[in-house]
Amino acid sequence: MRDVAIVAAGQRQQAAFTDETEVQILLPIFEQVRNDTGLEQSDIGFTCSGSSDFLAGSAFSFVGTLEGVGAYPPICESHVEMDGAWALYEAWVKLQIGEIDTALVYSYGKSSPGSLRDVLSTQLDPYYLAPLWPDAFALGALQARMMLEQDIVSRDRLTEIAVRSRDHASSSPHAVRKGDATTDFVEASPVIADPLRADDCAAGADGGCVIILAAGDIAKNVCDRPAWIRGIEHRTDAHSLAGRDLLSAQSAALAANAAGVGDDKIDIAELHGPFTHQEHLLETALGITDETIVNPSGGALAGHTMMAAGLMRIAEAATRVSAGAGDRAVAHATSGPWLQQNLVCVMEGD
Amino acid sequence: MTKLESIDYTLEYPYTRSTGPVWGPFLTGLRDGKILGARIGNKIYCPPLEFDPETAAAAEPDLVEVGPGGTVSGWTWVTKPTTKHPFDHPFAFALIVLDGADTAMAHAIDAKTEAAMRTGMRVSAQFRDERVGAVTDVYFVPEADAVDQEIAAGDEPVAITIHSIGVDISEPLSPHRVRFAEGLRNGKIIGQKSPTSGLVYVPGRGYDNMERVRMDESCDVEVADVGTVVAYTTISPIQYHGQTETEPYIRCSILLDGADQPLGGIDIRDMTPEEFRTGMRLKCVWRPPEERDYSDLDNRGGGLTEGVYERWEPTGEPDVDFESIKEHTW
Repeated sequence: MRDVAIVAAGQRQQAAFTDETEVQILLPIFEQVRNDTGLEQSDIGFTCSGSSDFLAGSAFSFVGTLEGVGAYPPICESHVEMDGAWALYEAWVKLQIGEIDTALVYSYGKSSPGSLRDVLSTQLDPYYLAPLWPDAFALGALQARMMLEQDIVSRDRLTEIAVRSRDHASSSPHAVRKGDATTDFVEASPVIADPLRADDCAAGADGGCVIILAAGDIAKNVCDRPAWIRGIEHRTDAHSLAGRDLLSAQSAALAANAAGVGDDKIDIAELHGPFTHQEHLLETALGITDETIVNPSGGALAGHTMMAAGLMRIAEAATRVSAGAGDRAVAHATSGPWLQQNLVCVMEGD
Repeated sequence: MTKLESIDYTLEYPYTRSTGPVWGPFLTGLRDGKILGARIGNKIYCPPLEFDPETAAAAEPDLVEVGPGGTVSGWTWVTKPTTKHPFDHPFAFALIVLDGADTAMAHAIDAKTEAAMRTGMRVSAQFRDERVGAVTDVYFVPEADAVDQEIAAGDEPVAITIHSIGVDISEPLSPHRVRFAEGLRNGKIIGQKSPTSGLVYVPGRGYDNMERVRMDESCDVEVADVGTVVAYTTISPIQYHGQTETEPYIRCSILLDGADQPLGGIDIRDMTPEEFRTGMRLKCVWRPPEERDYSDLDNRGGGLTEGVYERWEPTGEPDVDFESIKEHTW
């Protein structure tokens, strides 16, 4: 495997970017990662982004956002209608093939102008599920109740995860829900969809995330301590509900195993769990133990920018490896109902 | 005068999908008051699948009837239904294993109160009076609440299903768009001059897309409402969902005097393609201020909303030489 690393990462996230377009959200982040590395767009071999037209409310909206990158003179570029973590995977494959030595990956989401619970219904099976418009909270709650009733997780454990997120988020500049990290506060949070309370559900946010990948010596030249990608895999569960076990995160476990998560001690894990019970499922699927600090950023619970929350997990983990806060980290991204698709990325510092 | 503050619209994707050999009979069954499952190996899948999700084995061609009774294996209560939901009052979304089936179906239960819901409860299918061959033709109630129904079978098998996705968007107009709209209200076209390159973009985007720098109010400049046609095409409307145009018209880009970027998407309805040409000089004829309508102005459009002008009329000046505008033609 070719040595490929994350050499710069930046993000912006807040509850709503009311006065900024998607490009305006991204421009300062592009500038930051360029300053961090000294790489200009002309030095970038491949640019790949992730976003959703359903959030932007406009077809081919990603084409407009390319203006923020600097798409003239023409660049080599691609887009996925997925979380940016999958855009990063596409770029990583291109780096492995050896076509390029550097890549710029970004994703963004501005869900505040619309109703995210409705938007997420549109991703469901269009024959059997989507016409009923089951929203994301309802689907999450249905799974949570099954887990509670079948003792897969306890109520106290869900509270513990929510408290942990608030606690860690307090020192995170990008978190939108932080502080009040007490059991009493979380237990008093209003019910959104029984049994899920507000604090069991990820806090909605607008934002964007940008990462630069580089191979070999270039990575060493532009970054003091690159976060080397030692394994990156993604897997998906069955499309049909009939093929799903809602009491586990099977494809996350498969991806984690393939990426070699369990090969050595994990210092830091950044998990993309849109709900507390799903964060619990992910810890189980990835085999996370007490040796690991889980979601030092607060995780997706503390701020969930649709289409970027997964790439943000990778950014958070990589930034901590580069800063020396850990030697080996795992980041996870998810997409689809009930953790349907999962990507796992293992990173190490030198 | 229309509001400048926000834009409200519905993003619509109307999908029509063919139903195929398994989903078609299932949806036909719902229309005709029956719930059908597919046999794959030793299991009955309901709703039916065309193939086994684990082994990819094909379903047997004939579906089998299941239900109408079933058992709840998971549920949640919806306290505030949206207008898209199957009920306008609180209800449950649930996983239901129908009698005779081995897999769960996600559907809605009209249980009246949350207290009536529990895992393991018995429910029964009820059919809507109006059925169209969709999964919404059926719903469930607690078994004790079920009533006998006489359902008349329809004629043709369900071969197509229509799923209209509509998502409501309500977005504040960006500050630079508000200033652009205010200009239009006053009969002025406001662009933005790049602090880096000095080039003038119309309308301003709040950033320079070439130099990748942000542009704020201090970059705003007024450009002329007179300019040169740099590109055009004739559009013959195709009647797709949502199309409001019926007659052919010209869509052009105009490089306004004082601007370095053409204003695109300007529609001309009172000139023929024979008399229209690149290089001709046009002037905006504004609607009276009280009649100017900005309601279709959004944060992403690059043109000038048609609600603010009557037409663009030739100034009578000589055409502009192609060489001097060729950078802007495409």
